[in-house]
Amino acid sequence: MLVANENRMKLRTDFTDRAELIAYLRETFPASAALSPDVSAMRGGRNAAEAMLQRINPERYAATRNHLNGAVTMLSAYLRHGVLTLAEVRRTALQRAGAKAEKLVQELAWRDYWQRVYARIGDGVWKDRESYKTGWRPVDYQSELPADIADGATGLNCMDQFATELQQTGYLHNHARMWLAAYVIHFRRVQWQVGAAWFLEHLLDGDPASNNLSWQWVGSTFAVKPYYFNRDNLEQFTDGKYCRDCQHYRQGCPFEATYDELQSRLFPREN
Amino acid sequence: MMNDEQSVLIWVHEDCLHPNSPALQAHSQAPRVFVFDEFSRVSLKRIVFQYECLLEIPNIEIRRGEVVAQLVAAARDHDCQRIVTMASVTPSFAKITSVLQREYLLSLTLLASEPFLELVAGEADGLDLKRFSRFWQAIKGRALSLNQSFDW
Repeated sequence: MLVANENRMKLRTDFTDRAELIAYLRETFPASAALSPDVSAMRGGRNAAEAMLQRINPERYAATRNHLNGAVTMLSAYLRHGVLTLAEVRRTALQRAGAKAEKLVQELAWRDYWQRVYARIGDGVWKDRESYKTGWRPVDYQSELPADIADGATGLNCMDQFATELQQTGYLHNHARMWLAAYVIHFRRVQWQVGAAWFLEHLLDGDPASNNLSWQWVGSTFAVKPYYFNRDNLEQFTDGKYCRDCQHYRQGCPFEATYDELQSRLFPREN
Repeated sequence: MMNDEQSVLIWVHEDCLHPNSPALQAHSQAPRVFVFDEFSRVSLKRIVFQYECLLEIPNIEIRRGEVVAQLVAAARDHDCQRIVTMASVTPSFAKITSVLQREYLLSLTLLASEPFLELVAGEADGLDLKRFSRFWQAIKGRALSLNQSFDW
């Protein structure tokens, strides 16, 4: 009995193809499959990572990275799992683009920074680093993720598609992460910890330091002010692809406002 | 050398799934084990991604369960007294390594990946991490220059 139990703890490594691996893992990790049954098209492993590294274009990255169609590197999941090192990506970027690699190197430095903060504060990444600069108290924020957000059923085309993409692919463009986080925290007034935990379940690159501290940056507990956005901003960096078919395009879009209007609507106690 | 190799177990964890990490390089013949933490709440796609990374590590033994218990069982199975692993800042990593040493009397060796930047001795502890902008100002010049570094 004991031997049989021990053997169940050792998992298989002999698979003929990806489909067989996925079927095995779906059976072996039923709770994880229940969280979301989907599997990402992004392959794990050093071979895939090296192929992606070959494709980075630091100059185009600098010019286009904020756009959802921009030349982002897609290396985050490999960096998070140590399959690539920040050092080798930095070296590759500098060899390829010299001084024009600055923006990409700076983004790599963000990950190094988050790891250094993590080394100092550990599980403190789950606690407010500073107070909110939104006029709201921590208790004013909801402690559960509203079901319509997780279900991709808010009726807001952009947010619903971001939530769906997160859960189906385990990846979101950084700008989409910022918009979705800002929506969750500021437009729905949900604790940043709730959104951070949701992201960690799904992101292939999910890392408590980068993830939680970025959520805190959006929330303003690790920044001098909250991050929020309006529709002009989202439309600009998405070519309006979410807005075009949105039922709220003409009426009821919560993001259709100037920054001043949003400031007084979202943070009335600050005014 | 053989005796040394026989006594080492490499613990591969999620913060370093590189198939040629310094730990795997230093003990190329040593048994190597990864443990999926049974209490971890992650979705299937992430497990698939990690598993694909693991399958590129020759002779990896993949287990599932409580991490310390599985590492102790693996060390016993392979008759290892020393665990070699890659350093990590994850808080649970420090807890696990501490229990392995104190309660199970396993010796432990931590190796490090090539750092993003080589800092001068003692510099890391004094870095101002209040805001990224201050950190970036402190390191920017070095971050943007190519210097020599080791290759894996």
